[in-house]
Amino acid sequence: MIELKNVTKRYGSTIAVDDISFEVKDGEVVGLLGPNGAGKSTTMNMITGFIEPTSGQILVNGNDILRKPKKVKRQIGYMPEGVPLYYELTPKEFVSYMAELKLVKKKERKEEVEKVLNETGLNEVQNKLIRNLSRGYKQRVSLAGALVGNPDVIILDEPTVGLDPKQITEIRTLIKKLGKKHTIILSSHILSEVSQICEKVVIINKGKIIAVDTPENLEKSTREKNGISVTVEDPKNNMKILKNKIKEIKSIELVKDNKDGTKQYVIISSADVDLRKKLFEILPKEDIVIFELKKTETTLEDAFIKLIDNVKESNEKEEKNLNIKEEKK
Amino acid sequence: MWAIYKKEVKTYFLSPIGYISIGIFMLMYSIFFYVTTIFYGSVDMGNLYYATARYGLLLMVPLLTMRIFSEEKKNGTEQLLLTSPKSVTSIVLGKFFAAVTVILITVLFSIVYSVIVSFFGTVNIPTILVTMLGFILVAMAAISIGMLASSLTENQIVSAIITIAVLVAPWFLVDLSSVFSSIDLIDKFMKFPYGLISIEDMISLLSITVMCILITIILIKRRKAVK
Repeated sequence: MIELKNVTKRYGSTIAVDDISFEVKDGEVVGLLGPNGAGKSTTMNMITGFIEPTSGQILVNGNDILRKPKKVKRQIGYMPEGVPLYYELTPKEFVSYMAELKLVKKKERKEEVEKVLNETGLNEVQNKLIRNLSRGYKQRVSLAGALVGNPDVIILDEPTVGLDPKQITEIRTLIKKLGKKHTIILSSHILSEVSQICEKVVIINKGKIIAVDTPENLEKSTREKNGISVTVEDPKNNMKILKNKIKEIKSIELVKDNKDGTKQYVIISSADVDLRKKLFEILPKEDIVIFELKKTETTLEDAFIKLIDNVKESNEKEEKNLNIKEEKK
Repeated sequence: MWAIYKKEVKTYFLSPIGYISIGIFMLMYSIFFYVTTIFYGSVDMGNLYYATARYGLLLMVPLLTMRIFSEEKKNGTEQLLLTSPKSVTSIVLGKFFAAVTVILITVLFSIVYSVIVSFFGTVNIPTILVTMLGFILVAMAAISIGMLASSLTENQIVSAIITIAVLVAPWFLVDLSSVFSSIDLIDKFMKFPYGLISIEDMISLLSITVMCILITIILIKRRKAVK
């Protein structure tokens, strides 16, 4: 279990992380999400003890990293941003070095290193120099370094950056597998990734937490309207009068006029009604042939942008209020 | 400390740095062996070590120490070290002793010259041992200065230049004020080649070493809070 309590990090006058608090329970896979420069890496660097918070407390399994660094650091495996590695070593040498640093006992070391190399699929390249490995393999070596010593908590800073789509899927599958045994915190600015891998998302912007929830809930809570996308063949142009037939429809928008004579519309209704059944029944009566009908989903992408915009707006409001107050004075 | 020491020594010999530095050093030894011993038909090895300390150490120590922390910082591998359960002290000491080991290897190689001389005359073994001791102490102090410089910057060249400057500057600055002789390492080596163990010089060399190591440790710890 990881607990962050009112953690703040300042660099001179700039605040990188501003009073954040959240919890990660055992066995949870949590995604730290935010635009570049939001404070994700800083937060991770503080959890792993690479840098110290200016104020606040970080507890890993109940231990404060500043008080019992040795104990806490043993329980954490860290894959830093940018995949730092010793290029003059081979993956096998690197992982055994990391095992030594993590205080894995000499007797168990060889076995542990082999196990981790197996797990991360590095067997074939274990004796090549890391310098000569492809980006995907380097990423795995870095991950192997984080895994060795069987830490309770694994922290991955942007684990899939710079990989090709195939490698990304491989790393994701690996992380999912790891999530069954370990507590994982990973950061990313790719939202689809987070919604695929993580059970919980912490959204950070400008050093502040703006939301903590499951990906599904975030999508739901930020959905303000119900949209249905339909592709139809409509020779009599009856879609225009559809609004009169179904009262729940708020608006109908033409999205695309396809070359094959079909048209794509988005039908918007209020959030609490589902029009799909009604549309299926009514459209054929109006001589409209349905080619496709589906709910438009708000993606995490939308949720994310909306949340960040909300914060911006409220900030602007605050600023305005302040300005007004100052003017009054 | 042991894990870091082993890896560091290995790194010196996985990269050309270890071989180049030992090569340069042996070249220096050989040149000075000719100039100070063979040329004069002398059996006094003191001058050999003195000249090598003065002109060899200067070239070699910055070469050895410039990467110690700069490289880790630049590549980000510093994060791996500092987030491991190893203490900063053991990291610094591991790296320090690894560099000392490389110098120690060259000092061991230098026994060859004494062996050569012993064919032609009697070598004063205790004096040579005392000289070696002094040589190693000077090397340790120089390495600790280089390591400190390396912990200040992520640029290896800058780190090397700082080290050279700190090692050489006292030679010229002594003319300005005698204060600078207290940080002139070679000045503290002078008596060893005569077979004299000067407690004063030993203590000052050791205290420079310990001080630089401590400052390095403090700086790295401190940076965690500031960074």
